[in-house]
Formats: sequence, C-alpha cells, structure tokens
Amino acid sequence: MATAQLDEQDVEAEELQLATFYVGDMLLGIDIRQVQEINRQLAVTDVPHSSTHVRGVINLRGDVATVIDLRSILGFPSAEVTRQSRNLIVHSQGESIGFLVDRISDILTLNSSEISQPPTNIEGVDGSLFKGVFKLEKELLITLDVEAVLAGKSSAP
Amino acid sequence: MDDELLNDFIVEANEHMGDIENQLLSIEESGADIDVDLVNEVFRGIHSIKGAAGFLGMTIIGELAHNLENILNMMRNHELVPNSGMIDVMLRAADRLQGLINDIQNSNEADVSEFVAELEKIAQENTEAPAEPTPEPTPVAQAEPELSEDEELDRQIEEAIAAKLVETKAKKEAAQPEPKQEAEPKAEVTAEPKVAQAPVKPAPVKKAKEKSDKKQVGPEASIRVSIGVLDKLMNLAGELVLSRNQLMQAVASDEKGALDTIASRLDQVTSEVQESIMQTRMQQIGSVFGKFPRIVRDLSSKLEKQCDLKIEGKEVEVDKTIIEAISDPLTHLVRNSIDHGVESPADRKLAGKPIEGSMNLRACYQAGKVRIEIEDDGAGIDPNKLKEKAVSKGILTAEKAEQMSDREAVRLIFHPGFSMAAKVTDVSGRGVGMDVVRTNIAKLGGTVDVESVVGEGTNIVITLPLTLAIIPSLIVQTKDDRFAIPQVNIAELVRLRPREIETRVGRIKDAEVLRLRGDLLPLIRLEEALEMVSPKSSEEKKTEKTDHNTYKATNIIVVETGQQRFGVIVDALHDSEEIVVKPLGRHIQDCPCLSGATILGDGHVALILDVAGIAAHEKIPSNEELNKEKENSTASQEESQQMLLFSNHAEEHFAVSMDVISRIDRIRADQIDSVGGQEVLQYRNSTMSLLRLENCITAKTADSKERLYAIVFEVAGKEVGLLAPCLKDIQDVIMNFDTVTFRERGILGSLVLNEKTTRFVDLFELADIAHPEWRDDEEVLVVEEDEQPPLVLLAEDSAFFRKQVTSMITERGYRVVGCEDGLIAWETLQSGEHDFDIVVTDIEMPNMDGFEFAGRIKESQWSHLPVIALTSLAGSADIQRGIEVGIDDYQIKMDRDKLINSLQNFAGSKTGNNTPVLQTN
Repeated sequence: MATAQLDEQDVEAEELQLATFYVGDMLLGIDIRQVQEINRQLAVTDVPHSSTHVRGVINLRGDVATVIDLRSILGFPSAEVTRQSRNLIVHSQGESIGFLVDRISDILTLNSSEISQPPTNIEGVDGSLFKGVFKLEKELLITLDVEAVLAGKSSAP
Repeated sequence: MDDELLNDFIVEANEHMGDIENQLLSIEESGADIDVDLVNEVFRGIHSIKGAAGFLGMTIIGELAHNLENILNMMRNHELVPNSGMIDVMLRAADRLQGLINDIQNSNEADVSEFVAELEKIAQENTEAPAEPTPEPTPVAQAEPELSEDEELDRQIEEAIAAKLVETKAKKEAAQPEPKQEAEPKAEVTAEPKVAQAPVKPAPVKKAKEKSDKKQVGPEASIRVSIGVLDKLMNLAGELVLSRNQLMQAVASDEKGALDTIASRLDQVTSEVQESIMQTRMQQIGSVFGKFPRIVRDLSSKLEKQCDLKIEGKEVEVDKTIIEAISDPLTHLVRNSIDHGVESPADRKLAGKPIEGSMNLRACYQAGKVRIEIEDDGAGIDPNKLKEKAVSKGILTAEKAEQMSDREAVRLIFHPGFSMAAKVTDVSGRGVGMDVVRTNIAKLGGTVDVESVVGEGTNIVITLPLTLAIIPSLIVQTKDDRFAIPQVNIAELVRLRPREIETRVGRIKDAEVLRLRGDLLPLIRLEEALEMVSPKSSEEKKTEKTDHNTYKATNIIVVETGQQRFGVIVDALHDSEEIVVKPLGRHIQDCPCLSGATILGDGHVALILDVAGIAAHEKIPSNEELNKEKENSTASQEESQQMLLFSNHAEEHFAVSMDVISRIDRIRADQIDSVGGQEVLQYRNSTMSLLRLENCITAKTADSKERLYAIVFEVAGKEVGLLAPCLKDIQDVIMNFDTVTFRERGILGSLVLNEKTTRFVDLFELADIAHPEWRDDEEVLVVEEDEQPPLVLLAEDSAFFRKQVTSMITERGYRVVGCEDGLIAWETLQSGEHDFDIVVTDIEMPNMDGFEFAGRIKESQWSHLPVIALTSLAGSADIQRGIEVGIDDYQIKMDRDKLINSLQNFAGSKTGNNTPVLQTN
C-alpha cells in the first residue's frame, strides 16, 4: 500500500511533454517519448482489403510503415490531405506506425497533476481512446492512449 | 549417432560453459544480493545443455545439468541464497559437466552420482516448501523423443520468456535505477518507447503469445559463418568502399563518362555482396534431417513397427529461416508416416511386403526451389474412406464426394478439421492437423502435395523457396498501384491482342476464363480482386471489353499455386526485379491477398501479392474442379466440332466441318477440265463439279499449285468438290464463332485458331451460290393452303447451332421453336402452347440431355412425336442408347440435306392424309 501511494505521488509530480496536434477541431496530445518523428510523406500506397482506418503504407527509410487515419478512428469523416497534414510516427510494439493528423501544433510541457480523467464520451468519441484531459487557456487538450487507439484499430472491422 | 549433431552440441555446450567458472564466482561474491540477470544467464546455458543432452540421449550429462539447473532456478527465484559451500559444489559439478561434454562418447558410462547427491542435498536443505512448483521432467523422460521435442519447445518458450523478462527488467533498470517505481516506468526518450508501453506482464500472457508465434522464439540469434564467406564479404566491402570513392570523385569532378563504368561496377559488387550475405544464411537441410533417424527409431519401436529410414540430399542448402520453420511440419509428417502409413509387421506380412517398412526422406533442388519428399511404402491412403469421413463430417456433400477424383480425395487430408488418424493416439491426432502443416508451408511460400496408392504407400512432396529474404518478382501495375508477384508463382505471361479477346476469353457461369492451349484457365482482374474498383456486372464488363480492348492489348499473368492455376489480368507489366521482402505491420497483416511489401527503386512501396491468398479469396476452383467444369462446358455450352482447316490464299484461313465432308481427294491441276464455264473433275467415269472459294465468297485468289485437294461433299444428291490448295490440320474446335465480322453468304462465322483468323465455311451455301439452279431440284415441302407447315421443336444448347439449324429448316418452309436445353424444351412441350409435329434435339445439353428428353417424350402423351437426334458425330453406343429411349433417327448437325430429308420423312408421315410430296430427282 505504501509503495502504491508513493507511486501515485511520483506520477503526480511528473512533468509531461506532449506533442500536440489537431484532428478536426480536436486538440490531441501524445507523450513525446512515444513519438518517433513527424513527417509529411503523404504519398501512401493503398492496401487492398485493409480496414477503413488504414490509410496505406509508406517507405520509412527502408521500412514499411502502416499509416492510420486518425480521423477515421475517431469517427470523423475521412481526412482530406492538405498542406498541413502530417504523419506522426509512433513506435508501438516494435513497429513504427504513422498517424495521419490534420495539423501539428506545439510541444507542451504540462504537469501531470493538471490531468483529469477523460469523460466516457468526448464530442461523440469513445472515451476509452483517451488517457486524460488538460484544460488549457482556450481549449481542451486530450491525450491519446496510443495503444488503445492502435488496438481498437486492429479489432475494428 | 550423427557426428555432425554431436559436434554442434559440443561446440554449443562449450560456449555455454565457457564463462561459467567466473559467473559462478560472481554469484558467490554478490551473496544474498542476487544478481538475477547473471543467474539467469547461467541457468539458460545449463538448461540448453540439459535439453540438448536429453535429445541426444546423453542421460548422464542431462542428469547432472538438471541438478545444476535446479539450484540455479532456486537462486533466481530467491529461494536460495548462494554461499561458498554451494558454489564450491556447483563449480566442481560444472567442471565435471565440462569434462563429460568433451568426452561425450563415454559420457553415458560416467558416474555422476556423487555430484547429483551433493546438489540434491543443497536443494533439499534450503527449501522448506516443495522445491519446485512445476516439477521438471526427469532426465529419463527426456530420452523419449516425442517428449523431448515437446520439452524442447517448452524449453524454448521458457527461455524466451526468461530472456524477455530479463531484457525488460534490464531496460527498466537502466532507465530507472529505483526498481520500485513500477507504476509508470520512465524510459529515456531515445530508448525504445515500447518499454514504457509494455509493463512487465504476467508470464502466462507472454507465453501464450510466444507460442502462437514460434518463429520468433528461437533464443539463438547468432549464426556460424565459415571464415571463407566472411573473408569474401570483407573483400567485397572493400570493393564497395572503393566504388563509392570513385563515385564521389566522379560526381565531384562532374565526369559524366566515368559514371557508367562506376555504375556497372557498383551493380556487380552489390550483387556479389547480396549473394555472399545470402550464403551466410544458407544452412544444410541435414541439420533438420539429422534428428529424424532417432525419431523414426524411437517411434517405430514404441508403436511396435519396424521402419528403416533412408535420407538423401542432406547437403541441400536453404535459408536459415526456412530450416527453422520447416522443422516442425517435417516432424509432423514423418510421425504421421510411421503412425498411419507404415503397417504393423503382421499386417505387412499379410500384404506380402517386407516386414520392415521403408521410408525415404529426400531433398533436392528443383527449378530454383527445394523439393522435399517423404515417402513410405505403407498402407497408403484410401480415398473412399476419406470421402466417407468427409461426408460424415459435413465437409463435403455426398454428391460432391461422388464426383471427386481419387487424387483430389487424398488431398482431403489437408482440409481443416480432418484428422487422418482413425483413432487419436499420443503420437498424432493431437490437434495439429495436416492443415496446419499445409498452412505453415504455404506461409513460407511453399506447397505440399500428396500422392498415395492404397496398399503401396504414400508420397508427400513439399516444395519450398530457397530463401525468403530476397525473391525475384515481377512488378505489375493495375490502376495507379504497383504490385510484386513472386516469380515462383508465375507460369507464363499471355498477351492478347484486342481481336483475340473475343475468342480467347470466354465465360463459364459468371466467371471469365482464358483458353490457353486447349485448357480453360479461370481469369481474374486484379483491380477487382483487390477491390480497387467495384466489381462490374457482366454486362458492363462486356461493353467495357469491347470498348477499350479495341485499342489496347490485355496482359494476363498465368500464376499457379500448388492447387490452382489461373490468369490475372493487369494493366501493365514492369520489370522483373529482385525485391527485398519487408514485413507488413500488424494492422494489415491479415489482408488475404498480400504476403508482404517491398520498396522499389524509386522509393515507393509496392505490396507483394500472395497468389494462394488471392486464389482463396476469389474462390478459384482447384485444377481438378476446373477440369470437370471444362468437360461439362465443352460437352454442353461450348460444343466442339471436328474441323478441317485449310488455306486458300496463303494468308487466308478457312475451316469446314468434318461431318459433312464425304472424302478428300488429292488431284493434279491438269485434271481439272473447264466445261461450259464450269470447272469439273473427271471422276470414276462421271464428272464432279468443282468450286473455288474466290468465286463464291470474298476471298483472295488461290495460289496456283500443281497439286491440290478437293474437299468432297454431297449436296442435293450430287458430289461436289471444293478446291483447297493447302490443307492444314484437323482439329477439335470449340464452336464459339464471331458471326458478325465476316458475315456473308457461305460463311458461318469466324474464330481465331492457332493465332489465325479462320473463317468457317458453309459448304451447302457455297454450293448454293455457285449453282443456284440445283436448289430447284431439291425437295420442297408442299403444304396445302389451309394447313400450317409442320412445327418443329428444336432443343439445342449451342446458340450457334440453334441458329444454324433454325435457319436451315425454316428455309425449307418449316416453323421452328428453339429451346436452350432439354428441360426448357420439355417444359415448352408440356405447356401445350404449341402443337408440335416433330422434335429435333441435341444429345449433349445441360440440365436435361437429349436421351432423357426423348425418353420422357416417348413415355408421355406425346409418344407419337418423332424425335430426331442431332449429334456432332454419332457413335454407335450413342445410337444404341438412342434407340432404347425411342429416338427415331440420328442426324449429323452440319449435314443439312440429310436432316431435311429425315425431317420430311417423319413430318410427312405424321401430318396424316396430306403427305408432303418429296420431289427428289
């Protein structure tokens, strides 16, 4: 018990660096340690018979990386690729996976004590995809649970 | 005992033992503050030795290693605190172990009881609770090969788990010196983030995962490479550096001319590097085969059978990954052969076979692949039993089973949920079916097939690629995407010119097929298979086909898997390239038609097509199913006719139906007389009129030749000869004519034969054109004014013939109702809508054939109706059967005179009082 409390305090004292980006109007963040790189390699190769969430594959310096359409996972209409669209490459289970996002925003350093539990539903999106919510001055920053997003992805039809 | 295997064992064991002295000493030094990683390392080494020793039957080594391992296990579980006394014993035991390993031949005679006792004492003294929650199998049990194999697997899994745990722990500790902070461990940003994401999971979860993915379990990530290969690689690396320097220089000094030389040099060096690196991955297949003599020996003695194993082709080299992956399927197949294939000595004696069964395990290279055969001379597989079983299990319908060929039936063993074992034994029938074997082999890009003769034996043939890392592939394009198709799957490329499409591409049911050298191949369009476009309805497809194919050739890649062969239509072909296979991410791993991806020269990703996957996804019938389909279709929808092919002018090709030809005469040009503007041939004291094609239809003038042929046929009771300068061939031709393009009187239609457009000549019309006056002599049906002309019910499935026969007899004043098959005709007759006078029916038709149709008529109220059967060529058996069911007359389809005659005879007799007048001359 004592250790558990200790852990919690440690977590609360932690400073989080988040790479933030927009999908639609939603400001989302991912722990920067999970982000491998951000690129604008938007020419993807379509993958037949893949789930609708899969945008395609790209050549990531000699490796083939899957690009996931984050809009589609979050239930928004599929994204139009614009000049501001980027691939945010995360590392998950030994594999590089790209998230197609609409616009990259800042890198924010926040204290983890400011985090609050995500509601079960944010703008119609299932809350289980999120880790928490930060209240910024103007808007809400929602942190993504990368593994949940990717896992939900795999099980999706 | 296999020396090579033993040798490997000694080398490996010595590697494990190499540092054990120091390691044990370090353990002693750290005392109660146990360095778990270190203990684990030693544990794994000893464990490997134990496993291998058990497998090789080195029971004493195994026993000693087992006891050592026990102690280490307790240490790493913190059940035991190492002290000097213990380490002392362990050191001595390790020394002894090393000694035994180096004198392996005599190791089984050695006495290690002293060490075993001491080690056991340590273990017992220091445990209050039972020493081990999961008891290790005893060394005796390891001598059993089937257990040792399972154990080997367990061991690998165990080790992999242990390794994983250590790895994760180590990383965590590296990132976070405070081991207590486990709630959200922080990894360095540069370190793999997965550490942060993957908290230490309880072992069982890992275990399940590892088990499902055996390939990754292999704890040994190292490979032994011969010095020679390594030296060569080193040299090549030097060359590569040199080439690079030259390239940099050339670029810097802007020497365009030098670039060519450097490029070709780079090309060469790169290929050599690739080849050498591949070589480092190649291993002899003997390393897998080596374990089979023992498996066979132990298993056959266990099952009280006698079996002799012969191994050939140990020296065949294949990629390491394949060696690793093929081991389990091969073991399964070998066990199966002994368990189900080879009979008991008593049974063998009864069957008159040598008591000792024989089994051959062969490997050889074949066309850039490896072929492995597992052959036994056992009881074989009874296709009928398999069929029964398949039916009882609901895998097949009884009807399907009936149609299935024996060869196909034997392949049922690969069907999921099909255990070959009549009874489940502990040897096989444990849920790992042949379907798993097949799936695993297919995953490697290989195929497996089985041949079996009941009572004589079974032969299982596996073909595998030599390597998986780099595969030669053809790059194809469809829409805007490029795909790679492995060359091993490609049989040939077919390019169809637009005008060939009509004749070469046909349809069976709703599927397109390609006619290729007399075979019918299923065709798929890649863009549709991959759902890049919405599948078109057949109507759309037809219009599209005529639309764009008028200017564009069609590329068809004929691909094959072990079971199927089919054509894939693609938009364009690119180069053939050696591609480096990259795995697909987990989100797209399950795509049915893909086996991987590769990166092309221009940096784009191309997906590698899985031909077997496409076949499964598109439900391509297997070759056997297709052949049956073909038989049906040639018999019914696409009737074939024997045709005489000839040319008039060298560039113009014609065909006539053999059925209407009476004979072919060889004549000299000077035999032809010209009488009254007509060419005739003196023939057996009479004259025979001769026709020339160019005089009757649009055709180029025949080449003048001294010797030519007269194709003789009979029209209106006269013999007529068609002059043909050059005969080509007699062929069975599928009656699928283009009746539009060359339509004129005398020509029935055209088709492409042997890549030449060939016109199909109607000899009777030809005669009609040349001698319209003959027609007046012909029988004409005379009907009283108040009477309707006789009504003919025509059943004929071929649209071409239906049209021909209809026009042929309507010309003579009959009325005709045409039906597509016997069933429709039968229904038409029954409907009572028409009052038919005569029935003309084809014999071979879908749904209801002519025999059945005629039989029904004769048993019904319409039994008075005369039935004339039309055949391509009447065989006597057919005629016999026809008479039995009541067919009144047989006529050959293309012989219209005789058909008309027959019609008139029967129709006349049936129209009662007003007998039609037959005006024959």
